[in-house]
Amino acid sequence: MGFFVILEQRQGVIKDVSVDVWRTVQHFARISGSGEIYGAVMGDVDANLVRSRCTGKGMVYMVRDRDFHDYCPQSYAETIAKMVVQKGAENVFLANTAMGRDLAPRIAMRLDAALASDCVVDLDGTGLLKAKTTMYAGTVSAVIGRLRKRAVYSIAPGICRFVEPARNAVEVLEAGGISVSGCNPVLKKIIYHAGRKDVAEADIVVAGGRGVGGSENFALLESLAAVLGGAVGASRSAVDEGWRPHPDQIGQTGKSIAPRLYIACGISGASQHLAGIVGAETVIAINCDKDAPIFKAADYGLVGDIAEVLPQLEKAVYGFRRVK
Amino acid sequence: MNIAVCINQVPDTTSRINVGNGVIDTGNLNMVLNPYDEYAVEEALRLKEQRSGVIVTAFSAGGKKHYDVLRKALAMGADQACLVEGGGNDDSLVVAASLNKAIRSHYCGLPDLVFCGRESSDCNRAQVPIMLAEMLGVAAVSSITKLSMHDGGLEVWREIEGGVEEYLLRTPAVVSTEKGLNTPRKTNIKAVMKARKQTVLHLDGSVEESPGVLYHDLSSINHQRSCRFSETAEDLVRILHEEGRLP
Repeated sequence: MGFFVILEQRQGVIKDVSVDVWRTVQHFARISGSGEIYGAVMGDVDANLVRSRCTGKGMVYMVRDRDFHDYCPQSYAETIAKMVVQKGAENVFLANTAMGRDLAPRIAMRLDAALASDCVVDLDGTGLLKAKTTMYAGTVSAVIGRLRKRAVYSIAPGICRFVEPARNAVEVLEAGGISVSGCNPVLKKIIYHAGRKDVAEADIVVAGGRGVGGSENFALLESLAAVLGGAVGASRSAVDEGWRPHPDQIGQTGKSIAPRLYIACGISGASQHLAGIVGAETVIAINCDKDAPIFKAADYGLVGDIAEVLPQLEKAVYGFRRVK
Repeated sequence: MNIAVCINQVPDTTSRINVGNGVIDTGNLNMVLNPYDEYAVEEALRLKEQRSGVIVTAFSAGGKKHYDVLRKALAMGADQACLVEGGGNDDSLVVAASLNKAIRSHYCGLPDLVFCGRESSDCNRAQVPIMLAEMLGVAAVSSITKLSMHDGGLEVWREIEGGVEEYLLRTPAVVSTEKGLNTPRKTNIKAVMKARKQTVLHLDGSVEESPGVLYHDLSSINHQRSCRFSETAEDLVRILHEEGRLP
């Protein structure tokens, strides 16, 4: 059937979520026992880095032209669509990131492919790909049937269940890009927020809601997040209050996240918020209201005022580390 | 300058969604203007207020029920509203094709700018804006949080993981709007009454495009977990350590 994986590169590094997609595809090819695997990296990346990140079998094409280092929507779409057709791949995969969401429909249109957005893919009993997604704030699941020969799967970031293939027989090759002018938006610049982890990419997220009480109290969350090596997120009410910027918002009109550990501080747990944390492995809730709905969506709970609890938590984490 | 705004209706975010026999029971849902589309309408109206000769037209693909969101756009201040019929409202590709056909016929060509919400808050696929741009053959930037307009060109920002991208694009163009771009205005009763009297145009959105995907086997998901309570922070950390949940 043939698999094609678009590997997202930012600042010279292939994103973890893209590596997860690559591993998932390696698993599919191994189990189904058929299908070549192709990958594409846009931009100037060290070939050895590609080899160390993307293991298993297959061929990865690097388009190293300077014009391709940063996201260039139409040129990326044109170049990748041509490669997919050349390789005869029927299944195109990419991670559902800001870039993925923008790029996937462009590629699907060029390939006349079915487009499965924000989905999780697995193999069904007969070895065929089965994509599932959620809708209505994560309260309803649906199977996505493809009605075209080709399909583009934009994979929801989550905890990757597949281990890194041990054997590495991946070939890294260079390829040329197709530059599209005309109706192509031109990227003027990218500003990266230095030293700030994005909530969508952090392994641990400490998030605050209305119960935090004010922007200054988020310092408590920042401090705990720093100790745990995580990022700070917020509920919609905290963002609407102006305590945190919108990129930190978790939930239906914010980001969906899938960290290993999610600590909800002073968040009541409205269904719109819970929609964003469905993928979290472990959820801890801290709230002064013992009847808050967040506790029904949590694995561990602590009833108390976060101004008291958070410093105690931090202290306890330090304490246990010393014992270890 | 002509600005088209594509809008959709979605269940109110507090609605409880019931699924029976693999289908959503839409009977009791309170439908509202998609929250991301409010930013789209608002941004179009701001451009209209800043410049002269701007005409803002709202388009919505679907059945007569979409009258409500079109009237909401009119009440906010849009000049015209068009119901795009015959294409349905389910498949992104079909919706984009319907909007493409209706927009082209309404303007006998292309508008200068098309605003769409980043995605509909019910299905979150974020497919229509880019598909529409491809069909219109114009440039597009998705999920913008800032926009400024110069002669014939736009400067837009969009959030990416851990940063912001700044793009320049020439009109005609499609942009999809993200939360943070603006604060949508509230409608007052006088404007709502006036919007009720305005004519909604009907446009033919029937297309030959067939759906690309089929959503089936819908079922409710239960997100409940069983919560284990701790009395003290120390207790909690000890349990987390024992169960290997902390780094």
